[in-house]
This record gives sequence, C-alpha cells and structure tokens, in this order.
Amino acid sequence: MIVPMGHILIVSTTLFFMGLGCILARRNLIMILIGIEIMINAAGLVLVGASALWRQADGQVFVLLLMGVTAAEVAIALAMVVYLYGFKRNLDIDNFDGMRG
Amino acid sequence: MATVLFYLLSAVTLVATLLCITRKNPVHAVVFLVNALFALALLFFLLGAPLVAAWQVIIYAGAIMVLFLFVIMILELAPGQAMASASRRQLVPAVLLFLLLLVSAGLIIMRDPAGAVWVEGFYLSPRDFGQALFSRYGLAVEIVSFQLLFAAAGAWYLGRRRRVRQEEERR
Amino acid sequence: MSRDLIFLIPLLPLAGALLNMLGGRFWPRRVTESLAVAAVAGATLAAALLWPLSGGEGTTVELFGWLRAGPLQVPMVLHFDRLAACMALMVTGVSTLIHVYGTGYLHRKEDAVRFFVLLNLFVFAMLTVVLADNLLLLLLGWEGVGFCSYALIGYWYREEENASAGRKAFLVTRCADVFLLAAILWLFQLTGTLSITAINAQAPLLAPGTVTLLALLLLVGASGKSAQLPFMTWLPDAMAGPTPVSALIHAATMVTAGVYLLCRIFPLISQSPTGMAAIAAVGTLTALYAATCALVQRDIKRLLAYSTMSQIGYMFLAVGAGTVTGAMFHLLTHAFFKALLFMAAGGIIHLAAGEMDLFKLGGLARRSPAVFWPLLAGVLCLAGIPLTGGFFSKDAILLASFARGNMFYQVLCLLGLLTALLTAMYSFRLIYLVGPARKGDIGEPHHLPSTMLWTLIPLAILGLAGGLLNLPGVWGGNEWLEGLLGPLITAGEPAHVFELLLGLIASLLSLAGWLWARWRYAGKPEPRPVGTAGTFFLKGWQADRAIETLLLGPFRAIARFWSAIVDERLLEGGVFLAARSCEGFGQQLRRLTTGRLGHYLTAMAFGLGAIMVWVLLQSI
Repeated sequence: MIVPMGHILIVSTTLFFMGLGCILARRNLIMILIGIEIMINAAGLVLVGASALWRQADGQVFVLLLMGVTAAEVAIALAMVVYLYGFKRNLDIDNFDGMRG
Repeated sequence: MATVLFYLLSAVTLVATLLCITRKNPVHAVVFLVNALFALALLFFLLGAPLVAAWQVIIYAGAIMVLFLFVIMILELAPGQAMASASRRQLVPAVLLFLLLLVSAGLIIMRDPAGAVWVEGFYLSPRDFGQALFSRYGLAVEIVSFQLLFAAAGAWYLGRRRRVRQEEERR
Repeated sequence: MSRDLIFLIPLLPLAGALLNMLGGRFWPRRVTESLAVAAVAGATLAAALLWPLSGGEGTTVELFGWLRAGPLQVPMVLHFDRLAACMALMVTGVSTLIHVYGTGYLHRKEDAVRFFVLLNLFVFAMLTVVLADNLLLLLLGWEGVGFCSYALIGYWYREEENASAGRKAFLVTRCADVFLLAAILWLFQLTGTLSITAINAQAPLLAPGTVTLLALLLLVGASGKSAQLPFMTWLPDAMAGPTPVSALIHAATMVTAGVYLLCRIFPLISQSPTGMAAIAAVGTLTALYAATCALVQRDIKRLLAYSTMSQIGYMFLAVGAGTVTGAMFHLLTHAFFKALLFMAAGGIIHLAAGEMDLFKLGGLARRSPAVFWPLLAGVLCLAGIPLTGGFFSKDAILLASFARGNMFYQVLCLLGLLTALLTAMYSFRLIYLVGPARKGDIGEPHHLPSTMLWTLIPLAILGLAGGLLNLPGVWGGNEWLEGLLGPLITAGEPAHVFELLLGLIASLLSLAGWLWARWRYAGKPEPRPVGTAGTFFLKGWQADRAIETLLLGPFRAIARFWSAIVDERLLEGGVFLAARSCEGFGQQLRRLTTGRLGHYLTAMAFGLGAIMVWVLLQSI
C-alpha cells in the first residue's frame, strides 16, 4: 500500500505540463529539447506506475523502449542543433522561420 | 514509510524540474534536470522497477544529459548571451496554459473513481523483466536497435566534415 | 401560259444569285454578268408572258406550306393580280436595264461577283414583297430587301463612312419595321389569318378605332422603307453606295415598297378616314421638306435622293387621297425617270473621275451628248413639263387630292403645288449647272462604256411617253391604268374644267421654275456663300442633329450608365469584391503560418487545453 494511483498521475501530469511550459516559454533550442525530455520522463513515470498497479511487466518494458527511442532522438536532435548553430550563430527559434508563408 | 518517501521524492522532482526550466544558464538547467532524473529513478525503484531505475540513471542521466552538456560546451553558449530569457509575451500564455491544463487534468483525475485505487507494493525482478522483454517484446527490441542504427547514421551525416569547411570559409 | 409558272418570276433571280454565289469565283467575269442579267431578264419575260393570268381577281398559287402551327398557317402563296403584275413588270424590267448598266459601271473594278449576287438577291426579295399573299411572307421579302440594301449601300465597306451609311439605313428602317411587325401581329390576333386577301375581305368587319390604329401602324412601317418623315434620314447617306444600287434600290424599287404595301392593304386602310388623312399629310410634308432640301444640295446624288424622297411623298399623298391608280401611276413614271436620272448621274460622275459637286461638274452638253439628252429628258419628267409622263402622273395626284372635297385635302393640294414649283426649280438648277460649259472645265473626257449609255435610252422613252399609261379622258386618252387598278377619284368626278385648270397651273409652275433656274444659273454658275438658312436646308433641316440629340444622345447616356456604372461597378465590382474578400481572407489566414516554432507549439498547447476542458466538462 503505497499511494493512490491518482496521486501518481497528478505528479506525472504536473511534470508533463511543466515540460510543456518550458517548450512554450523558452526560445532557446536547447531548452526546448530539455522540455521534451521532461515530458518524456513524465510519461515514463505513468508507465511505471501503471505497471505497479497492474502488477505486470509491460509498463516497464515500454519505458525501456522509450529510453532507446529517446536516445536516438536526442542524438539526431543535437546533431541538428549543432548544424543549425553553424548557420545562424545563435539558437533563437525565432530565427528559423523559413517555413513562413 | 514508502508513502512518505514517495511524496518526498515527488516534491524533489517537481522542484528540481521547476528550477531547471527557469534557469538562464543552460549548464545549470541541465544539472538541475539530472537532479530531477535521479529523484525520478528513485521513484521508479520505489514503484518496483529496479532495472528501469538503473537504466534511468545510466542512460538518461548518464548518457543523454551528458550529450546535452557536450553540445552546450561545444557550442560555447555563453550564459546570458545565447540564451535569451523568456519574453513576457510567451511567458504569460505559457503560465496560463500550465495552470489551466493542470487544473483540468487534476479535476479529471480526481473525479475518476479508478484513481482512488491504491498501488500495492511491487517488485519486478530482472529475470522476470528479461523474460517479458525478450519473449513478448522481442520484435520491439529489434526495431529499437534498428532505430539506434539509423540515428547513428543520421547523426554522422549531419556532422560531416563539410560543415567544418563552411565554418572555415566563414572565418 | 400555265399558272404553275408564276413561281418562276421570283425564282429566276434567286437562282441567279445562288449560282453566282457558289461558282462566281471559278468562272470568268463575263459569265457572272451574263448569268445575272439573264436571270433578271428571264423574270421580266416570265412576268410579261404571264400577264393575262393577272386579270379579274388575279391568280393565286400556293407553292408549299412554310409554317403550320395550329392557328398559324403560313403557306407560300403568290398572288398575281393586276397590281402585282404592274409592279412586278416594272421591277424586273428596270432591274434588267440596271443590271446591264451595272456591268459597264463596274468595268475594271474588282469584287463583281458580290455585287451581282446581291443585286439578284435583292430582286428576288423585292419580287417576294410584290407577289406575296401572306403577310409573313411579305415580311420575309421586306427584311430581305432591307438586308440587300444594307449590303449594297456598304458595298465599298472598306471606307468607314460607307459602312456607317449602310448601318444607318438598316437601323432606321429597322425602327420603323417594328411598327409593321406590331401591325401584322395585331392583324393576326384580330382576324386569325395572315393572308392579305382574307384580311382585305374582313376589313369592313373591324372596329373603326382598331382600323385607324392599324392604318397608323402600317403607315409608320411603310415610312421607314420609303424614307418618309420621320424615318428619312438614311436616304441621303445611302448615296454612298454604287450608282446602280442607288438607281435600282433607292429610286425605283425598295423605297417604293412602302407605297406598294399601302396599296396592297388599301381595302383595310381605306376604312379609316383618319388613317388616310395621316398618310396624305405625312406624304405632303415629306414632299415639301425634301424639295426644300434638294434646292440647296451640291452633291448630285444627294440632290437626287432628296428628290426621290419628295416624289414618294407624292405617292403617299395619292394613297391618302384614296387613289391606288394615282399612286401606282406616279410610282411607275417615277421609277422610269428617276432610275434614268441616277444612271445619267453615274455617267457624269464617271466622266468627271469621281467628282460629285455640282458646281465643279459642267460642260456635259458638249462633252457627252449621249448622257446629256437622256438627262434632260429625265429632268423634264421630274419637273412636270407638260406632256411628259411626270406631268400626267403628278397632275393626277393633285387632282385626286383636290377633288376629295375636304378642306384638309385641298390645303394638301396647295402644298403639293408649292412642292411642284420647288421641284421644277431644283430640276432645272441641275441642268443649268451640269450642262453648259464653263471656264476651267475638268480636262479630257473619260470614255464611258457603251452599256452605261444605251441603257439610258429605253428609260428616257418610257419616262417621256409614260403619260400614255393613264392618259386622262380630257386629253383624249383611254385611262388604261385606271381601268386596271380602280378609279382615280373616289369622291365624285370633278368637272373637266378643274382638270384643265389644274393642268394649266402645274404647267405654269414648272415653267416658272425653269425661268428662275435660267435667270439664276445660266452663264454664272458660281456658288454663292451659304448662310445659316442655306446650311439648315443643306443638312436636311438638321434632322440628323435632331435625332442625335433626341434619341441617340439619351440612348448612349443610358447605355453608358448601364455599362459603366451598373455593369462595371456594381456587377463586376460585386464579383471582384467576392474574389478579393476570399483572397483577403486567405491572406489573413496566411498570417498564422509564421514559420516560428514557438507559435506552432503554443497553438498545439491551446488545442490540448481545449480538449482537456472539453473532457472535463463531459465528465461533470
């Protein structure tokens, strides 16, 4: 008897929305990526909590897979950040409006 | 006991995250995030996922966050210069949204009777985890490993020498 | 001769036109000309040979059914009675002479095929008008005549003014034709039939007011083609066409179609005294108007055009005074001498290499007597010198008008006498300006083709001897035409004294005209500077300008209003407004895609918030 499921959900929801807020509020590309990380971790927390609730392994397995995917994503994202930095010399996302129109 | 620990760790995570997202210095932000991830790992351990907790520390805090630091260093983002603080225009809607979303989600969660179920103490041994992983989720493992290969290839492509020549031309 | 051959009369010119239209390109010019002349000559022959068929009640022959739609039955019916026979014979005969004249006139000019095709087609349409027994068929010929007139006036269409003249003729006559159409429709509604003989038979059964209105509508319809007031502005400008066209269409045939129409439905219109009075008044006023204008014209063809207008006014007066015989008598003699005058004018213009100003033409008497003497003959007829054809026909009309007994008609008779004086004046003015030699003459004579010369002679003879057609008894004649077409005087025979007295007065007037012209122009043919009065008459009492201000100006203003304001601004503006607002809306939507990641993420978050709230509200 640890904790009601609802509380786990609330914690992870709060974490998730904090990550969302980071994405919306910060203009630096690195910070946006960090916000994404936070959101993914929040999801992971939900998965582990669910796995504990239902006493099955599936949730945890998914978290592992999630970590693998996240690693791949971060690798490419950061490679792109370096590449873009080479163009504009700063990482303000307002500079990258080539999709405008 | 576990309950108290849970709430404590949750608090740490949330506070660390909050601090992380409000820092000007990117290195500070990353360090605070590592802090949060450690607390999260302990939460995982509490919820009966020792293997996942270990991997959280090794992969997330140990590899991914290090990679972040690595890139921040390589780009020589001086604090306060490359990192613009959030302008008021973006801050207000973000905060408002945060509150709105939080309240809505909270209400939804609390009103659901299923949320009142207590999570029992649970422990999943690595053996059981491995069995589940490689029996039921073998295909997923393969696919994720492919993806890591793609990512490696992509990252190599993006970081090719050509970009260095351009940088040299620009200087 | 069989009655079944009546259809040849209109068919031969049509066949000539079609053959030349299809093959004129391929065979030499001689063949085209010969074909055209042969077609019309054949029609003349047919009309002459079939003359006996027109006696009594005449011959009606139905060719085939054209329209059959319930109550509307329009068969192709030709009615060949004395009236039609006289007219057909005149039309075909004069046309033949003019076709021959035309071959010489167009000598060395190109585009002859079109000319002869149109001329033949015109003769076909005119014969349709003459022979039709059904009003719709007559209307078909009427419109055909109008079209051929337009095409032939604008024959040299490459010059803007010629094309405009053709257009003007077509449009003015079109305005009058609307009234004719209204009359036809109304007649159909009243009597249930469009057959002219049937309508004439039913005429006494119609109400007097209706008949008056019908007569007035028909008067207006006829005025268009016959260039009477107020539809007369097209005729002087129509002189832009080739001279054979002017001779045929605007002297002998098309402009008399209006008179012919009124004669055809005479039983109908004679039921209405008001209508008859209106017809007579229109004719007399036009005659006077045209004579005043003719007196100051400098262009020889315009002078003849006004003269035609004036003489047709006399014919209208005759119809209004109740005598078909008088009208047809003058129609026939006028056709002869007016065609002659036009053809001679064509010769004069040819000789002077295109010069048309009277004050620059001269010396005809010595240079080309072959043209001068027929011209003189025509002028004598026109002026009404005693014993010419013109004298007898004009006299007959004036007598009929005087003998009507009504004060109104007697006033018209006086105006007619005044017009006769003016006619004599301008006729002799023409002779004295064109005939005698003067200093500074235009150089050597051009040589005229023989066809332009010998065709003048038959017409001169017919004009001078035309009086024999209906020589009044008081002169010892047999009144032959009167026997064919009906009595000259409808309201009692006046005493022979009056006839002789009128004849004497008319003779004196024509002599007075001659003497005035001789005093004014013989020996000193210089133009005097024209004052405002002169310009007024020269421009046809400024009729063109009046029409411009009264009709065309407002019409153009209305058209401009509807096109520039309503069409362009309102309707097109409305369409453009719809298009532009769509475009504007799109442009505004476009502002959403700023390309900035922060905006997109914010939008997504707002969407997420909306979904959350909705779920929350659902669960409440």
